[in-house]
Amino acid sequence: MWAARVADGYVFGGMTPECAATLEGVPLLLESTDPRVTERIYPETCVAEEDERQWRDHAVPELERLFASRCQLVRRDLAAMKKVDPAGSHVLVIPDVHVNAWLAALNAARLALYALNDLTAEWMAGKETGSASAKQLEALARIHLLAEVQAVLLGEYELEVSDPDECDDFDAADFDELEDEDDEDGDDDDAGDAPEKDAPKRR
Amino acid sequence: MPFAATTKEATETETKSKTSLARPWNVVVLDDPVTLMSYVTKVFMQVFGYPETKARKLMMEVHDTGRSVVWTGAREQAEIYAQKLQAHHLLTTLEVVDG
Repeated sequence: MWAARVADGYVFGGMTPECAATLEGVPLLLESTDPRVTERIYPETCVAEEDERQWRDHAVPELERLFASRCQLVRRDLAAMKKVDPAGSHVLVIPDVHVNAWLAALNAARLALYALNDLTAEWMAGKETGSASAKQLEALARIHLLAEVQAVLLGEYELEVSDPDECDDFDAADFDELEDEDDEDGDDDDAGDAPEKDAPKRR
Repeated sequence: MPFAATTKEATETETKSKTSLARPWNVVVLDDPVTLMSYVTKVFMQVFGYPETKARKLMMEVHDTGRSVVWTGAREQAEIYAQKLQAHHLLTTLEVVDG
């Protein structure tokens, strides 16, 4: 998988079908109703019973609405992900205005994978995975893949700044379409925190 | 919150509630083995407007000790911050400051 910075977002390309499937699984993880996931996503927040009840009555419904809206946005970007060659290589575009939504969604998906597969902190740190099942090792791999995408969006990698027209497997027209949609729906959920367009591009 | 101060029980509830409203509340972030350290730092900067050095220091405290009090103050504001941190899936709790 490669990643590149373009004028108003990030392009992830060269993704294998397995990588693409992992990303496509993010919305499903966000919508999980498994108690192991919901206990982590909506943790017990207050010690006193009455305070906790008030929290559940007022704060949690707002969080639920935010997460549902975020999930829709991620799903929309994923719907625009393209398979670009017979081998199944995929390209995904994440516009700057969606970066914060993606960062949180990826975090939630990683937490859900961790909870659903009964993983351990030691395995997460890469220690002693000998006792992990094949399914658990696969979940760990998916968690680390999603972390790589997060790292790119957090600016941890120095990316080449690419002209979209010169980017292999990438059709700039698709990107324009995404931007138009954002303008139309006026989605400002996470827009205020988007990286500045002129931020230094590191390599 | 409706109060019916006609019974002893209701009066006690009201008093207790007023006391907890008056006392400062801590916003506490707990460690988890999944969330990236760089993401925690970014969220602290974004939610509280902390400079990167302070945000990183608090993140390291979470990582090293398992928890950090990231903000203390009025209950209402503490709840707003806790909600914002949970919106980013940081493991966050609220506690009334003792004493």
